[in-house]
Amino acid sequence: MSFFGFNSKLPNEGNRQRHDHGKKDNNNSPLDFEDTYKGYGEYEREEDDYLNDETFGDDVAFGTDFDFGHGSSSANSGMISTNQSQGQQGFNDPVGMQGAQAQQQQFQMHSSYAAAASTTVPQQQAQMNVTMDMRPMESLWSNQPDMSTQVGQNEVLSMEELERQQIQMQQQQQHPPPQMFMPNYPNQQPQQPQQQFQNNYQNNFQNNFQNPQNMNNQFQQPPPPQIFNQPPPPNQQQTQAQMNQAPVHMDSPGQFNPQHMHAMHAVPGGMPMPMQMNNQISNHLHHQQFDPSLELKNQNQHRQQQVMGQNIGQNELLENDQALSTPSPKPTHQVLQREDGSIASNGNNNQSYIHIKDKGPRRMSRRSEPLSSEEQKRLQIRHAKVEKILKNAGLMTPRDKDFITRYQLSQIVTEDPYNEDFYFQVYKIIQTGGVAGKSNKDLIARAYLEHSGHRLGGRYKRADVALQRMQNQVEKAVTVAKERPQKNKDNTDSAREGVLGKISSSLNSKAPRRQLQIPSPKLSDEEDESKLSSHASSESLEEVTESLNNVGINQSSRSRRRSSYAFSSVDQISVLSRSGGRKFVLSLIETVYEEVLELEAQLRSGNETDSTGLWESLHIGDEAYDVSPFISMLSFDKGVKIMPRIFNFLDKASKLKLLQTFFNELSHLNVIIISSFKTNPTPTEAQLKKIELFQGVFLKIIVSFLSSSADFIEIMGLLLHLIRNNNVSFISTSTLGLNLITILISRAAIIKQDCNRTNSLSSPDIQAWNEIYDKLFISLETKLSLVFPPQEYRDTVVKETSQSGQLQQSNTQYFDQSYIWQFLASLALSGKLNHQRIIIDEVRDEIFGTINCAEQMKSLPDQSSAYRRDKLYQDLNLFLNVMGLVARDGEISELK
Amino acid sequence: MSLATPLDLLKLNLDERVYVKLRGARELVGTLQAFDSHCNFVLSDAVETIYQLIDGELKSREKSSEMIFVRGDTVALITTPLPDE
Repeated sequence: MSFFGFNSKLPNEGNRQRHDHGKKDNNNSPLDFEDTYKGYGEYEREEDDYLNDETFGDDVAFGTDFDFGHGSSSANSGMISTNQSQGQQGFNDPVGMQGAQAQQQQFQMHSSYAAAASTTVPQQQAQMNVTMDMRPMESLWSNQPDMSTQVGQNEVLSMEELERQQIQMQQQQQHPPPQMFMPNYPNQQPQQPQQQFQNNYQNNFQNNFQNPQNMNNQFQQPPPPQIFNQPPPPNQQQTQAQMNQAPVHMDSPGQFNPQHMHAMHAVPGGMPMPMQMNNQISNHLHHQQFDPSLELKNQNQHRQQQVMGQNIGQNELLENDQALSTPSPKPTHQVLQREDGSIASNGNNNQSYIHIKDKGPRRMSRRSEPLSSEEQKRLQIRHAKVEKILKNAGLMTPRDKDFITRYQLSQIVTEDPYNEDFYFQVYKIIQTGGVAGKSNKDLIARAYLEHSGHRLGGRYKRADVALQRMQNQVEKAVTVAKERPQKNKDNTDSAREGVLGKISSSLNSKAPRRQLQIPSPKLSDEEDESKLSSHASSESLEEVTESLNNVGINQSSRSRRRSSYAFSSVDQISVLSRSGGRKFVLSLIETVYEEVLELEAQLRSGNETDSTGLWESLHIGDEAYDVSPFISMLSFDKGVKIMPRIFNFLDKASKLKLLQTFFNELSHLNVIIISSFKTNPTPTEAQLKKIELFQGVFLKIIVSFLSSSADFIEIMGLLLHLIRNNNVSFISTSTLGLNLITILISRAAIIKQDCNRTNSLSSPDIQAWNEIYDKLFISLETKLSLVFPPQEYRDTVVKETSQSGQLQQSNTQYFDQSYIWQFLASLALSGKLNHQRIIIDEVRDEIFGTINCAEQMKSLPDQSSAYRRDKLYQDLNLFLNVMGLVARDGEISELK
Repeated sequence: MSLATPLDLLKLNLDERVYVKLRGARELVGTLQAFDSHCNFVLSDAVETIYQLIDGELKSREKSSEMIFVRGDTVALITTPLPDE
């Protein structure tokens, strides 16, 4: 048993059954449900989830064989199609009507109108039989009442509605909430509530009662479609609508006389007579029809709901056809209006309907050529696209867009790529093999376009134009980026804070976003970080100085203390503690790095460099500490490594001062201490590495400075600093110390020789040099043999170096003494004959020892021994040659 | 050079030997090459010591790596290594 021929086996069992005993089945000509309903409704439905479809839209899967490609996806066309199916069902169904007699009158009236209007409808509807995908009810998402959807709900639900109505009528008492409808009809005029009531029950009646008639009457088939013009919202949606309507129906429990109900409802609105209502409505409608403003309103509403005009067109067509076919337009209007109104329970619907009707004729031609499903699909997709595009179209002017892109770009563009984008620059250089920088902007623009999904050039594919534009943007962005720091300083940034997301002026590869943002104490405006730190250090400096003064330690006593410290400890920490502590020295190194990086950046950008900041950060000549912080900086590898870069920015006077300080406090130099076999008899691998690094980096600098820019007097000055303030014999026990002395005196000797040739050296200079040399020689005298490290030390060094795999090729197993012979050679070179004699006397044992060693190598057959023998002689002869001697095959002879 | 944040202290130890204690009974001694705000590290010449309790006996083994990346979420503490290390 089914109502309207519904398959009673449908899942919606509960409803149906209730419905069933509410109504009597009246199947005069049973239709195959499958033919008419196409399986619609065969889906499990959750009873309580009425709002689901309204909220999320009805799933397409609901009706399997509907054609979704028809026109746009707007509600209207959907309504039409779904209505149609239902309508067909409706009129085809042999619906058993309850109280058919009572309603006869009413629905005869309807049927006649419908019949009049419907002559051509069937075919068109066949064409229109397209089920649209139900979209979410737009009224839920906006403030606008969605009349079409509501209408659709009503109609689609007609079955359920009817059932519910009847159930309610049977079970419930009247409770008339006409006000409930009010919110739905913002645009409606006062009469509309009444209209609605009327429409509501009329609709119901039509649904219920028209169908039976239609069964018998071919002509009456068309009307149902009209009635059900609205989309077929799922039943659940409709239930809601039904709820609204239900009260109305409950007014007349058991009564299906439309007029009666009409009357009942009309009373609140002051319209006791149904007929009057109808008239009034029709009048009203007519009135509306000619009211342009109303029409506009309707149009607007349609737009909102449908976005695409097509739906309207379809509607129009449909209506138009009906209208055309209708002999008497006025009655049709009435009927239609009622239907619409009732279905939608929304007064706007009437208006829209009328509007549609007015517009209808224009679109007739379009309908004549039905689109293929593929075309429709495409069209639909297109519409969706256009809709998407148009949705926010025109919100932003091109200027706005430019601004946004510029702002975004300014975050990734940097004026100073080498500092902030270092790895990318390097990467680029590696990739392209060329110098980065020139095509930077072009690259950024291109990357941005691609990344942000801009269609290059938009519609006309003018990629070049777009690129050019973007390049402009990048250009401007760079300007913005330049302005950024200043703005930050001025604190003007706060105005825009958060407007376009977080403005990050300092976020780049150098200073990435931090996971933890620890608030740092605010610096006063004029002090940037480095200034602050130097400030702080100078403060602490003053403090220390003051305390020192209080204790009464004067300059001289401190310097005395310094030299006496030389042997006190190899411990790096104790040395560091005398120059401010490890942390202080490390922070100084970091400051130096910052300064150097800053200067290098300036150099790259072609600016003038000012090295005073760097100079201050070096703390050269800082008397606040026992040991100059600069010397302590050289205790760290990174402090040594930065030196060549520091030297790039110092002028000659600064360099000289730096080296003077260096030679002054050579005894405190950690590297000297660890490279001396006296203080560090068993060097570790790490220490040897450190020594090697120092030799490779800092000694190189000194050599190049001495050979390129230092004059004779300056070299003498440096040597004087070394001799005066250090224990030379101690320094000479250090590989590095010996090397340094060698460098100084050999350079001086070379200059002296050159000058001798040109006679450019003044006699006071030569005299000064002789004095200095004498001093040096005196401090070394009687200790010259001590420059040779003990065998134990040699063995340790050999062991460590061979372990580390360094110097593998030249002397894996032997301690390289060449630096000692070099020293002796240079010492002898600068000295007079008596100096040379003393030297030879002192190191005689070493000379013969070396010769013996070399001769022993002779007896060993392997190649390395031969090589080593050559090496020993070579080193030895370096020294002997200075004095016109040569050692060969175990004998010393005069050099010829 | 300001020392406003803990990581600034870490910055001082760039290019220095550091001792890093890790979760999972591991520790690392290496030269700090780089770090970030997540305490991710790059250490060079690093020696990793892995402690294991085998049959109630604490054993350790060492792994050396020339260059190693340490993900920050495993780091428990960082300090300068003991002098003998």
